[in-house]
Amino acid sequence: MLLDTPHTQHRVEPPPPAGLLDNLRGAAYRVGALAKHNTLIRLRDPGQMISYVAMPMVLMLVLKPLYVRAVEGGATQVATGLMVMFSVFAISIAGNAILVERTWRTWDRLRASRAPATELLLGKTIPIFVVMVVQQSILLVYGCLVIGLPIPRAPQYVVFAIAIWAFALLSIGAALATIVRSHGELSVISDVGALTLSSLGGALVPLSIMPEWAQVAAHISPGYWALTMMQAAVRGDAAGTLAPAGVLLAIGLVAGTFAVRRLTRGWGRGHLL
Amino acid sequence: MLEAIDLVKCYGPVRALDEFSLSVAAGEIVGLVGHNGAGKTTFVEIVSYLTRPDGGHVTIDGKPPSAVKGRVGVAPQHIALYPSVSVREHLELFGKLAGLRGQALTTAIDDIVAALRLSDFIDRHAAVLSGGQQRRTQAATALIHRPALLLLDEPTAGADLETRQAMLDVVKQRAGEGAAVVYTTHYLPELTELQATIAVVRDGRVIARGTHEELVDGLPGEVQLTFDNEEEITVSTTHPANTLIDLLSRADRPISTVDVRNPSLDDLYRSLAVSNAP
Repeated sequence: MLLDTPHTQHRVEPPPPAGLLDNLRGAAYRVGALAKHNTLIRLRDPGQMISYVAMPMVLMLVLKPLYVRAVEGGATQVATGLMVMFSVFAISIAGNAILVERTWRTWDRLRASRAPATELLLGKTIPIFVVMVVQQSILLVYGCLVIGLPIPRAPQYVVFAIAIWAFALLSIGAALATIVRSHGELSVISDVGALTLSSLGGALVPLSIMPEWAQVAAHISPGYWALTMMQAAVRGDAAGTLAPAGVLLAIGLVAGTFAVRRLTRGWGRGHLL
Repeated sequence: MLEAIDLVKCYGPVRALDEFSLSVAAGEIVGLVGHNGAGKTTFVEIVSYLTRPDGGHVTIDGKPPSAVKGRVGVAPQHIALYPSVSVREHLELFGKLAGLRGQALTTAIDDIVAALRLSDFIDRHAAVLSGGQQRRTQAATALIHRPALLLLDEPTAGADLETRQAMLDVVKQRAGEGAAVVYTTHYLPELTELQATIAVVRDGRVIARGTHEELVDGLPGEVQLTFDNEEEITVSTTHPANTLIDLLSRADRPISTVDVRNPSLDDLYRSLAVSNAP
C-alpha cells in the first residue's frame, strides 16, 4: 500500500551562501538574542541572586569583630572568605538556569533551531557569568567601603581574579546541572558542596587556625584556590594571583568541557525529570 | 523534500524505529498515525536533528538534517515554553534564532499572530496561558520563519475547537505555499480535513501509506436499522448501499431509523492493527 504521492514540487530556496563575516554577524545576532532572553528570565526571578548578595553582607558585618580579634588581617579574611563562600553558593544559580531548560523541555527546542550548540551555550552562560561577576564585585566593593578590606592596589588583578573564579563556578554549575536528576538534588549538592568545600578551603575559618590535616586537604577545594587568588589580587601580588588562577582555569575547562559535551547531545528520554 | 530510508533507532533493548521509510514532497501534508510508542516522535526527533539514527539515512532537500536545521519548523508533542516569558518575547526569540531581523521579524510576528489568533494574549506570560493558548504559541514559534519543512507532533493534543481550527487553517495555508508537512496525530478526522496523505506507523515502521480513499477502499462499513420496537440490526459490509436496499426489502416490521456508516480511518487503523499483530 506504499504509494507515490503526486504533488506539485514547490522548492523553497535556501538563503544564499554567506561569507565568514556574514556567518560571524549571524552568530553574534543569535547569541545576542539568546543572551537577552536569558537575562530577561534571570531578572524576572532574582530571588537567589538577591539572597546571595544580602546574606554575606549581613554576615560580614556581624562576624567582622570576631575575625579582627582572632587573626591578623581579619577584615580581609571576613570579606574575601564570605565572598568566596557565597559565590560558591551561586553555583546553584548556574545549575538552575540550565536545569530549568530541561524541566521546561525548552533545550531541545533551542537545539532544533538554526543556532549551533556553542551559540546556545554562550547565550545561556553569558548572563549567568555577568550575574556572578556582579555578585562578587558588589561584595568586594562592600568589603572595601564597609568592612575595611584594603582598597586593591592593582584593580586589574581583582577584575582578572573575579573573571577566572566566575568562569570556574559557571563551569562547575553547568556540569552539575547536566548530571543531577532534579532541582532538589542540585540544591543539596550545591549547598552541601559549597559549604564543605569553601569551609575546607579556608573561607569560613582561616586556614592558619585549622587542623593540620585540614590545611593539607584544603588544596583539593576550589574554594582554597579562589581565596588564595582573591587575597593575592587584593594585595596586588601578580604571581600569587596567577598560580591559583591557573588551577581554577584548569578546573573550569575540565568541568566546562564535560558540560558542553552533555548539553550538546541533550538529555535524552531516559533522564527526564 | 523529505526522504527517510530504512531508519533504525534503538533505546536500549527497545527498537523505536525499525527500517522506517517515508518520503514527503513539497506542498504535501503527511499524517503520521499510530499508537503511542509506534515511533512517530522518534522519527520527528531524528529529522529535527535532536537524535541520531543508528541506521538508515534521512535527507531534507537532498541534505542531511544537520545542514538544514534553520529550514525546519518543529513543534514538539509536549508544551515547551518559558513560563516567565511572554508570547511576543517567545516569537521574537525564535524569529531571531531563525535569522529574522528588523522589519522582516516584525512582519513575521504580525502574520503568525493573526493566523493563529494570538493577539488577545500576546503580552501575557506563557505560565498564565490556557492549554490551547500555549499550543498555539508553541506552533507559532515553529512556524514564524515559514520553514520549508514543518514537523508538527500532535499539535492539537488537548486543544479546544478554536485552537484546532486555527492550527488546521495555518497548516493548510503553509502547505499551499509549498511547505512539506509531517503531522502526527491521534485525531484522524483532522487528516481528512487537511486532505493529508496518511502513513500508518506500527512498531517503528510505516505499514501503510496512501490517501484516505485509497486506504479505506475495501474496508467494511456498517449499516444499522432500528425498529419501532427498539430492536437493532447492525451489518458490517463493504457495500453499504446494496446491503441497505437488501435489508429494507426484507424488513417485516416498521423501521424507525436507518444509519449507514462508511469505513473510516479508525476502521483502517483497527484492521491494520489486527492484520499486523505480531
